[in-house]
Amino acid sequence: MGDSGADPDPRRGPGPDPAPQGNNGGTSLSVISEGVGELALIDPEVAQKACEEVLEKVKLLHGAVPNGDAGEGCEIRCLDEPRLREEDEEGAANTVKTARRRQKNNSAKQSWLLRLFESKLFDISMAISYLYNSKEPGVQAYIGNRLFCFRHEDVDFYLPQLLNMYIHMDEDVGDAIKPYIVHRCRQSVDFSLQCALLLGALSSDMHISTQRHSRGTKLRRLILSDELKPSSAQGQQRRRELPPSSSSSSSSSSAAVGAPGMGQDGTTGLSPSKRTHQRSKSDATASISLSSNLKRTASNPKVESDEEPARLAPEREFIQSLISIGKRLATLPTKEQKTQRLVSELSLLNHKLPARAWLPTAGFEHHVVRVPHSQAVVLNSKDKAPYLIYVEVLECDNFDTANVPARIPENRIRSTRSAENLPEVGMSHEQRTGSFSTVPNYDNDDEAWSVDDIGELQVELPEVHTNSCDNISQFSVDSITSQESREPVFIAAGDIRRRLSEQLAHTPTSFRRDPEDPSAVALKEPWQEKVRRIREGSPYGHLPSWRLLSVIVKCGDDLRQELLAFQVLKQLQSIWEQERVPLWIKPYKILVISADSGMIEPVVNAVSIHQIKKQSLLSLLDYFLQEHGNYNTESFLSAQRNFVQSCAGYCLVCYLLQVKDRHNGNILLDAEGHIIHIDFGFILSSSPRNLGFETSAFKLTSEFVDVMGGLDGDMFNYYKMLMLQGLIAARKHMDRVVQIVEIMQQGSQLPP
Amino acid sequence: MAQTEKKGGLLRKSSASKKPLKEKVVLMYDEIFTTEDPSKCNPRFWEELFLMKVNLEYLEGKLEALDGEELMKIKDNINCLFQHCIQALGEEHPIRVVNALQTLCALIRGVHQKNKSTSGFDIINMLVGFDKAELCMKNLMESLDSLLCAEGSESLKSLCLKLLLCLVTVTDNISQNTILEYVMINSIFEAILQILSSPLSRREHGYDAVVLLALLVNYRKYESVNPYIVKLSIVDDEATLNGMGLVIAQALSEYNRQYKDKEEEHQTGFFSALTNMVGSMFIADADEKISVQTNEAILLALYEAVHLNRNFITVLAQSHPEMGLMTTPTSPIPMTPVTPLGTTPPSSDVISSAELPLDADVQTSNLLITFLKYSSIVMQDTKDEHRLHSGKLCLIILTCIAEDQYANAFLHDDNMNFRVNLHRMPMRHRKKAADKNLPCRPLVCAVLDLMVEFIVTHMMKEFPMDLYVRCIQIVHKLLCYQKKCRVRLHYTWRELWSALINLLKFLMSNETVLLAKHNIFTLALMVVNLFNMFITYGDTFLPTPSSYDELYYEIIRMHQNFDNLYSMVLRLSTNAGQWKEPASKVTHALVNIRAIINHFNPKIESYAAVNHISQLSEDQVLEVVRSNYDTLTLKLQDGLDQYERYSEQHKEAAFFKELVRSISINVRKNLAFNTLSQELLLKEFSTIS
Repeated sequence: MGDSGADPDPRRGPGPDPAPQGNNGGTSLSVISEGVGELALIDPEVAQKACEEVLEKVKLLHGAVPNGDAGEGCEIRCLDEPRLREEDEEGAANTVKTARRRQKNNSAKQSWLLRLFESKLFDISMAISYLYNSKEPGVQAYIGNRLFCFRHEDVDFYLPQLLNMYIHMDEDVGDAIKPYIVHRCRQSVDFSLQCALLLGALSSDMHISTQRHSRGTKLRRLILSDELKPSSAQGQQRRRELPPSSSSSSSSSSAAVGAPGMGQDGTTGLSPSKRTHQRSKSDATASISLSSNLKRTASNPKVESDEEPARLAPEREFIQSLISIGKRLATLPTKEQKTQRLVSELSLLNHKLPARAWLPTAGFEHHVVRVPHSQAVVLNSKDKAPYLIYVEVLECDNFDTANVPARIPENRIRSTRSAENLPEVGMSHEQRTGSFSTVPNYDNDDEAWSVDDIGELQVELPEVHTNSCDNISQFSVDSITSQESREPVFIAAGDIRRRLSEQLAHTPTSFRRDPEDPSAVALKEPWQEKVRRIREGSPYGHLPSWRLLSVIVKCGDDLRQELLAFQVLKQLQSIWEQERVPLWIKPYKILVISADSGMIEPVVNAVSIHQIKKQSLLSLLDYFLQEHGNYNTESFLSAQRNFVQSCAGYCLVCYLLQVKDRHNGNILLDAEGHIIHIDFGFILSSSPRNLGFETSAFKLTSEFVDVMGGLDGDMFNYYKMLMLQGLIAARKHMDRVVQIVEIMQQGSQLPP
Repeated sequence: MAQTEKKGGLLRKSSASKKPLKEKVVLMYDEIFTTEDPSKCNPRFWEELFLMKVNLEYLEGKLEALDGEELMKIKDNINCLFQHCIQALGEEHPIRVVNALQTLCALIRGVHQKNKSTSGFDIINMLVGFDKAELCMKNLMESLDSLLCAEGSESLKSLCLKLLLCLVTVTDNISQNTILEYVMINSIFEAILQILSSPLSRREHGYDAVVLLALLVNYRKYESVNPYIVKLSIVDDEATLNGMGLVIAQALSEYNRQYKDKEEEHQTGFFSALTNMVGSMFIADADEKISVQTNEAILLALYEAVHLNRNFITVLAQSHPEMGLMTTPTSPIPMTPVTPLGTTPPSSDVISSAELPLDADVQTSNLLITFLKYSSIVMQDTKDEHRLHSGKLCLIILTCIAEDQYANAFLHDDNMNFRVNLHRMPMRHRKKAADKNLPCRPLVCAVLDLMVEFIVTHMMKEFPMDLYVRCIQIVHKLLCYQKKCRVRLHYTWRELWSALINLLKFLMSNETVLLAKHNIFTLALMVVNLFNMFITYGDTFLPTPSSYDELYYEIIRMHQNFDNLYSMVLRLSTNAGQWKEPASKVTHALVNIRAIINHFNPKIESYAAVNHISQLSEDQVLEVVRSNYDTLTLKLQDGLDQYERYSEQHKEAAFFKELVRSISINVRKNLAFNTLSQELLLKEFSTIS
């Protein structure tokens, strides 16, 4: 049951704000106080009882709604109506609802449905399903309460469904869902952002300002607005849930403005200690983060304004600037110009970092500290300009309480990068020294890398070879003139030439730089290699919490279908895992920003088959042989197995989702041999306009079969077997997949 | 005073002429130029003086007209005037401040112009008086500092900077300007930084501030501890450094733009001239030079920033839109954003369109690109002394850049590709390369291109030896970085090789002429060692095995040059002459190249004989080269990847002294009266008062 609802009531009941409740008459008021007092302690139990009673009715009457119930629903609605605007009381409304029911029919019997709901088997998937299918407000309310009991990650997966139901289905469903959403928004700024973005994107298909439309946007506005700020600001700073200190939500915003740290300390004690999900934090944390804010102000006065910025504002601005970069890029004609512009725009963006911003696609809490602008690439697209950026972040334990890292100027890398790291750059250091063993000091790396002091810069060193560190190298310089005195060292020209070709051969096959396809090189570079390289070049690289993330920013594309595809893929993945079918698919995370923009988590270490063919000019099989070694090598065999498992997985996905537009540019191959399908822009019954006749169920070219070892090979049989197993497993859990799609059909223009 | 003022006002109205008012200030000046204390008869004399419009010409002329002794007589009054000027700087009313500033300018200039020969101490005595000098100057600097930092009128600030520039440039040799000691003690460095860090004031005064800073840094650079040097070298505020970079970039790109405009003007002339041109080496020689006044002051500022402040290196790569193309002066380049995310409403774009104009033609640029373009223009013609200085300074800056690790990192960054349109001198034997089809490459390619361009275009009788040495050094330093970091740059090395070989050829064919003036062997040694670097360490930085083959091909193809060089240095090293030592160094350095030539030439000849081909194609030669590597032994030469780091104090002091002198003169010349004139100021303040 909604904690958020329960919190304010102990104080609010007798407080100055009984007005909306007063409308319902004295009885209801007394019911509220009674119910709430109890609820705060035995929350789920009450809810269950309430549900139980309603469910029984459902069972008895099955379809025909009893008069009393309808009347009650009506009453409840009246009761809710004025409170919709005041999110703080939302929970209270629900409380009232359930409490009333409980009172009305206290003697409840066990029902089968309730037994199901209470059983361990009842999972979030079922909850969503019942929430969607049940037309009974009581069931919906019960499930709305039950949402609090599920793990956050589980519910998060169904967030698009929940919000879509909230927007597009009737009010009972919405009312059931809302407390949970509000509760979670208070807790997590990331969740707030995702909700706000999704609400915006999912409502965008609707006709202008229908009643329901305004309901979705209303919640969105609520999340983004200052109205939520009191609790959100606290949540952001301390991550502790304080009840709004003042009686009305409007006045509480002023409380947040004035001394957020101290003002509410007194109320901490008042807030009920029973928290289902969140422990309250001590005041110490508050003072720490407050002082840290001050500290940051002191260290960087230009960057910090005196007022605490809204918790979502930096992130939204970050996203917004990425999107507007994408929009501006789209106006440029050539890839080259796009890339240049991208790099320079990002370098300007860098000036504003670090900031209280994060990448929603990441799996851990962090602050964005830098965008290594020179690494960004424009991806292949005809008229739009999706681009891939790498983002340096510092991991933190808690986004809200952690301080935004201090800015380190770009050039600070000099001190972190030292001469010792250098030999790693060239692989042949040892080898060369070995071959030149007579002159061990030929490779005197220090002089250009020595970090000389500022003092030294002024007073230049007069000696000629002062910078070369040791005597031997000085001696060796002289030795040119006095050669007879030393034993000359001879080297074979052939060795030099050989080393050159060997070194080039040994470097992992990289792609040529192609102005028409700037992303190929960047994507081909092994991820670990890239991380190491960027870390070396970053002023933040020395920090232990440094991480590199990457993200694709897409403008002008509707990613809602991609999100749907991600969910389906994820569901299939878990089904196959549950059924122990070794199919491999890689669902990549999607962040829908609006109906025509979003972010995608890139698949690392993967390039498209199109790029492979263009760059290597080999058949797929030959490329496998080149990358992984000969047929019987361990590495080739495992790559082949990966290929088969992923190919079977994606063939099923393509079949089930009717994925169209499967050209080689949309199929990636990763370094381990997996194929990964991307771009689910045309799924179910939609297809590219000019290619409506795409009939094949999935794409399996003879090249793919070749990699599997031909039509008669064992691997191909394995492939067929996997397909069958996978299909059976998917059929078995069909509901879980269908449900995802079904709910999203509501009110959207997704293909039916 | 009120009475006199009223009187003046009445007079003006009644007699309807401006003259009496104008005369008033002149009369007051005349009073100062007597031995009497002007405040004796009029106790409010000084207060009144600063309400009068300054007559700069008269005041300065009057000062100049007096000779030393006469001046000494009225020293007390001058001191008094000076002190009262300083007092007036603290006044609330801007008119007084403006007048005081202008009077100070005139005073300082007038006294100096008269007394060029006298020592700095006398001048201090003349202006301020020894006894009060310290306090007075302290007050002056403090007032200027607070005026510059205050949120006051922009034209007032501008005038302050003008006064400072005036003070700094009164002597030709800045180090002899003793009065600057007080500027050293009472630093205004922070005020200059503040101007550079805020976008508004930078736009207005950035140029003056940067020039002032560059000059101050050069005051007694080598003799004493100059606080400006120390302070400049430790600045790490990004906004300030970027601001400085933007000012410099703006000035340089303005020059580039002007040059381009002029060039286009001349274009038609060129092509008609082209047809008539026979026999002259450079077309530009015959035609009138497209010359735009070079801006050494800005270049000096860039040099000091790059040389002294290692944080400034990052600014070089900082992107900014091509400024020359941003025509509207009303929409100046906004400050690089420093506000944190979240302080501006999210609805507005973070990067406003003004910052990066949405124009497809505008190529994003950075300071380094602008500088390279500028260098390519300046280095085209080194005959005139100013340009020679500028060209040399450009090369010195590039030397500093080529030695810097961070700079090298972004120069060689494979992900930062730019298209840099260098200006190429139109020459008889080549067409002007079309600008448009340049590939986008890492910036180091542009640097190398610039060096190659310099090498091929300056083989002339007036051989710029010094510049050539610097040029080869830059290439060498870049190669050292590449070798060290295993950077395999995809560059057409062949162009560099053939340019270097042609340079050797030129040195030999003009041996007698050049030897009279220069030690050509140092240059020859450096060139040969560049080749040695490629030969011995090519495996670490050449892009492909075939580029190594090409190197051999090029050496073999041009073997005549190396043979000639060898015979020349051998001849000179065996003679016990002046050049014995340097020449013998070159003979030793040539050992590998000679080994290559002696190894492959017979092989090629026999290949030709066996296959009955008179002239081998390139592919055939390469084939021979490839198949005969293994029998060739090379000698490992040491120290090829060592270089001497750039050092200003010991080698360049004289150059910078001379440069600063010419800059001082130039700045002084440009500090014309009209820039100090009151018209604008009066307009501005008339509304306030």
